[in-house]
Amino acid sequence: MMRVRRAYDGALALALAVSVLLFIVPQFFFVRQSFFESLGMGMMGDELTLANYRTILTDSFYIAVFLRTIAISAVAALVALIIAYPTAYWLSRMNSPALRWLIILLLVSSFVSIVVKVLGLTMLLGSQGPFVAFLQFVTFGLWNGSLLHNELAVAIGLVQYSLPLLIMLLFGVVQTIPKSLEEAASVHGASDWRLVRRILLPLSLNGIVTAGLIAFNMNMGAFTSAVLLGGGNVLTVPVVIQQKIILEVDYPVASALSVLLTVAVMAINLVVVAVRRGGFAGARQRRKIA
Amino acid sequence: MSSLTLERLVKRYGSTEVVKGINLHIEEGELIVFLGPSGCGKTTTLRMIAGFIEPTSGAIRIGGEPVDHKPPRARNLGMVFQDYALFPNMTVADNVGFGLVERGKPQEVVRKRVEEMLRLIHMEHLGDRYPIELSGGQQQRVALARALAYEPRVLLMDEPLGALDQKLREEMQREFARIQREVGITTIFVTHDQQEAMALADRIIVMNAGVIEQAGRPEELYDEPATLFIADFIGRSNILPGRVEQREKELVKVRLPGGEIITGRCRSELTVGDTAVCVVRPEALKVGTPRPEGNNAISAKVLRRSFLGSGIDFILQYGDNQEVILQTSKDMELGIREGETVSVLFRPEDTFCFSDPKAGQ
Repeated sequence: MMRVRRAYDGALALALAVSVLLFIVPQFFFVRQSFFESLGMGMMGDELTLANYRTILTDSFYIAVFLRTIAISAVAALVALIIAYPTAYWLSRMNSPALRWLIILLLVSSFVSIVVKVLGLTMLLGSQGPFVAFLQFVTFGLWNGSLLHNELAVAIGLVQYSLPLLIMLLFGVVQTIPKSLEEAASVHGASDWRLVRRILLPLSLNGIVTAGLIAFNMNMGAFTSAVLLGGGNVLTVPVVIQQKIILEVDYPVASALSVLLTVAVMAINLVVVAVRRGGFAGARQRRKIA
Repeated sequence: MSSLTLERLVKRYGSTEVVKGINLHIEEGELIVFLGPSGCGKTTTLRMIAGFIEPTSGAIRIGGEPVDHKPPRARNLGMVFQDYALFPNMTVADNVGFGLVERGKPQEVVRKRVEEMLRLIHMEHLGDRYPIELSGGQQQRVALARALAYEPRVLLMDEPLGALDQKLREEMQREFARIQREVGITTIFVTHDQQEAMALADRIIVMNAGVIEQAGRPEELYDEPATLFIADFIGRSNILPGRVEQREKELVKVRLPGGEIITGRCRSELTVGDTAVCVVRPEALKVGTPRPEGNNAISAKVLRRSFLGSGIDFILQYGDNQEVILQTSKDMELGIREGETVSVLFRPEDTFCFSDPKAGQ
């Protein structure tokens, strides 16, 4: 018995060790790499320095890249939430066998490779696509712009990519809100909008914040959408990191950018969570303790 | 507070008719209980009154005013749900004040009224608790206070005590009856528990398979069941099958399988030769000699005596392995023992005969 138990524990420990090796060790190396000076051609100095960080944090180009990435990610996450919540609500309240198929469809769509999805969007938004034709039609040919290779295109790509996941996350959230609460609100006199504001949103708020953060985090690291739909015009942090590595072979600055991206994402998450705690949930918890 | 009228109310889902043309008038201040087995249409009817389900046809009038095409919020009803449906993100006070706030009442008015309601349910000290911090019975009372706070025209209660254990259930029944009398609000209470219905109702509406089987005061339903379903569903009943020998207006003579002939009352179609079932309440059965004039008598063997606390049940066997239950109060010593054969007596006015529902099959 004891022997079996040991073998079992051993197997678990091995799995843990492999995970650590695959996950933490590479992180350690690139974090370490960010503290050395780049000598060009992939060579690095041998003295520890904060020079890379100083360069990034004092250069308005990098600052702009960070702000742009945060802005696109936040707007895309917000738009995705606004589309996903009513959809999830509708799905969770529909009382039909079709629901199962819709959920399967949603799952399958989230397995489609991002490259394929982005290609589809490229065709839709491209100069031969229906949207450009429509915009030219309604402006009598005055509008002559492009829907591709700009921030809007990247944001649309991010929304499309995160949407299935958000719908599924929020579906679970809305399902935990009993239908009888809605009935109670309406029979006691609440209009549909008031019901959303006083019951649905407060009760979904934790889930909405979580889902929004997940989408935001995905967006901050999104590379494919940014590079393919941005067409090199939209420089986000992942795009710049790739350029530093492939084009300039500047590993230390690329590493420092990666570290800063990670830190920025973590900091934003912590701030959002802290603000959220200060709200209704926090007040309630504090009261319970007292 | 208002009267409520249902006129030929029908609800159909596809080809299934769940509610089959209900007519009902409820007086102002009346406490009505919809009673019936699950699937009888009682909850569907309640939800049509609330406005959650649209009737297929028919009309609903509250205080004479048709409300069929109004959304729930415009009907000015109060409702208590089976799962209470308290808003978990609001305190008890905010829950109770919900309807007032939604009606745009000023803060001071809301605060005063909430205090009043909390006093009514004896929970004035718990206003700033959250629903999750309350017991089932307390949540129930808050749900009731929330439904009454804005003085709705009619109060609807959908199996509100179903989730409580027996003891608390009875306590809540008394508490609810007190509050209903105090407020005097027209109330429809849905339940499948006939004891609960008897304990609460001014009038019980027994529903079965989408129609009203019988409507009346609890005593009427118990003492004068109109159908076999009512006799069987309300209270405990002995059911004795037999064949009609003779009929004279409301009185029928039925021959039991063992050969005895008993007399009972009958208001339905029963003619000589039909198979019939006779229903007698356990407490209407007596034993002993001499046999009073006109009483029914069957000879039966005492199988078992079972003590119930409030009384004693004797399980008796008569005729061809048929069983009946005789109930006596505890202090009435019958002096009969298991295994003994006795003469079971009951009066024709306590015997109700119906046509056998299985006869046609």
